Amino acid sequence: MDIDAMKQARDVRGLIRHLDHDTHDLQWRAADALGSLGEIACEPLLKLLVYHKLNVRIGAIEALSEIKSPRSVDPLIRSLLTDENHEVRWVAALALGEIGDKRAIPPLLDSLKDDDRYVRYGSAKALEEIGWSAETDQESAFYYFALQDWEALKKMGNAATGPLIDMLKEQHPSIRIHIVNILSSIGSIEAKRSCDRVLRDPDADVRWRAVLLANRCGVPASQLPIELSKRLRTGPNKYVATMLNFFFLGLGYDYLGRWWGFLVLEIYLMLVLLGQLRFGAVITFAILFPIMAIFAVQTYFTAKKEAALAG
Amino acid sequence: MVNLSKLFGKTTVDIEKLTAAKDISGLIRALRSSDMHTQPVIAKALGSLGPAALDVLIRALKNKEKENQLVIIQALIEIRDPQSVPVLIEALKDENSEVRWEAAIALGEIGDLRAIEPLILCLRDLDKYARYGAALSLFRMGWKPPDDVEKAFLYVGMQEWDAVRLIGEPAVPALTHILQDQHSNVRTKAVEILGELKTPGAIPALIQSLADESPDVRWKAVLASPKCGIKLMHLPRGLSRRPIKTKNPLIAGFLNFLLPGLGYAYLAKWWGVMIYEIDIFGTILLFQYLGEEFSYETLIPIYLLLAVHAWYLAKKMPVDSP
Repeated sequence: MDIDAMKQARDVRGLIRHLDHDTHDLQWRAADALGSLGEIACEPLLKLLVYHKLNVRIGAIEALSEIKSPRSVDPLIRSLLTDENHEVRWVAALALGEIGDKRAIPPLLDSLKDDDRYVRYGSAKALEEIGWSAETDQESAFYYFALQDWEALKKMGNAATGPLIDMLKEQHPSIRIHIVNILSSIGSIEAKRSCDRVLRDPDADVRWRAVLLANRCGVPASQLPIELSKRLRTGPNKYVATMLNFFFLGLGYDYLGRWWGFLVLEIYLMLVLLGQLRFGAVITFAILFPIMAIFAVQTYFTAKKEAALAG
Repeated sequence: MVNLSKLFGKTTVDIEKLTAAKDISGLIRALRSSDMHTQPVIAKALGSLGPAALDVLIRALKNKEKENQLVIIQALIEIRDPQSVPVLIEALKDENSEVRWEAAIALGEIGDLRAIEPLILCLRDLDKYARYGAALSLFRMGWKPPDDVEKAFLYVGMQEWDAVRLIGEPAVPALTHILQDQHSNVRTKAVEILGELKTPGAIPALIQSLADESPDVRWKAVLASPKCGIKLMHLPRGLSRRPIKTKNPLIAGFLNFLLPGLGYAYLAKWWGVMIYEIDIFGTILLFQYLGEEFSYETLIPIYLLLAVHAWYLAKKMPVDSP
């Protein structure tokens, strides 16, 4: 039976089955059809918001946004605040905007601070739909941030500093660069407080912008190298590499990204095996351990040098 | 330091001597032993021999000797003989993108009108360098696009984005085409402009871009979509089709049961192989001191635990952020 026929027959269950159809076009059409059925589909759709596949949850929310039933507001708020999937939280925010119920405003304001940029963007758009307007500078700043309206944030000046520092948790380095640039243009005492945090950012570009920010905020240049050195190191750990090469020669090289690490490991294992068969375990390890210690020391210095070069 | 070229019998050749002797085959042979600094000199030398070198060069180009192709085309540019046009047109279909690019440039330099149709086709190449070469050559040859659709392909090839914007809706096919480009910055630009065109004609391309492999392209597609009439509500479903790199918990568990440690390695844990090696040593020692039967009784419950752990780790791994 096709989607139109199911719509005519008001076959809610059949349409729900199509929400997870292999063809995306059919998923969309099934969601639209469910939305056009009105209140009759509301209850079955609300039951789909938890413990169902991603496509089903998204489709159900799309349909609920068309039905616009006040009954769906609380379950949608739950999806917005608790669903682990980014797309579901995003579509829930948009649906709350479409329904236009004022109860959704506080949770949507919370979602302006979501970790995911799409959820933030959807929440800002939903708040616009509901006819919300910011009551405080902080709300305005989070709203502009969600829309990635960097110019508006710059114009807000010092009032945007707090929310911007909060959002340094953002995972995309390109967005953190925007934040640091704006903080740099504001150059206030409050912005100065963020310097130590951004100087330790894991991304090299963000750290460089942070150096410029610190300069503008009056942080003494002599302090910068110390702050920068406290950053989170994401590269290989020299002690781990050393330990690995001492006990499993070759594995340390593999850990440092050398393609031939496994090759060395296999040769080492063969030597251990042959040595044990020929001389026994004690003599074999008595010979091998000093050799492995030499390799371990070499690995330590190689890893140390590479970490220094990585900056 | 050991001179590898000497070690493997590579010797420096006297290009001037070969040129003076008009030894075309010798010069082509010299290409095999030359470095990137000498190759342009050989190209010039071959080019200076004029039409006399043409037959040999065309034959060599047809033979598709990888490392020589670019230099041979350079030599053909020097000679500028219309006889080389068919082989250069053929080179526009070469699998190597640099060869296609160089051939497009060569056809523009020679300026033979037979090249126009193949160069127009080359504007649809999936490589931006080949498209750029074709566009510059067509421009150089004074080609006038018959309509706005072709004009858009020309300007997209030249990456003249402002000119593409001015064309409006007829630019949609050219912009849609470059959504297959391997460089995400090109795709990002295409999506941005599709949004600025504000036409429903861009909808299929934008929906496709919502599931692009690059996060930047996806974000731009989200911003561009409403401008062309895609409902905001439809965007999350579009984005959910993006390629998601997840690890299969069953594979992780299965690997850890059969080869303890490799399930962790599959989950990109650096210490997975270490556990694997410890297991090998441990198993050998157990077999030696406890015997086969008792070893299995001890090891299998441990392997089961490790399998469940790897399965659990894979299950709990966060999904890539969109």
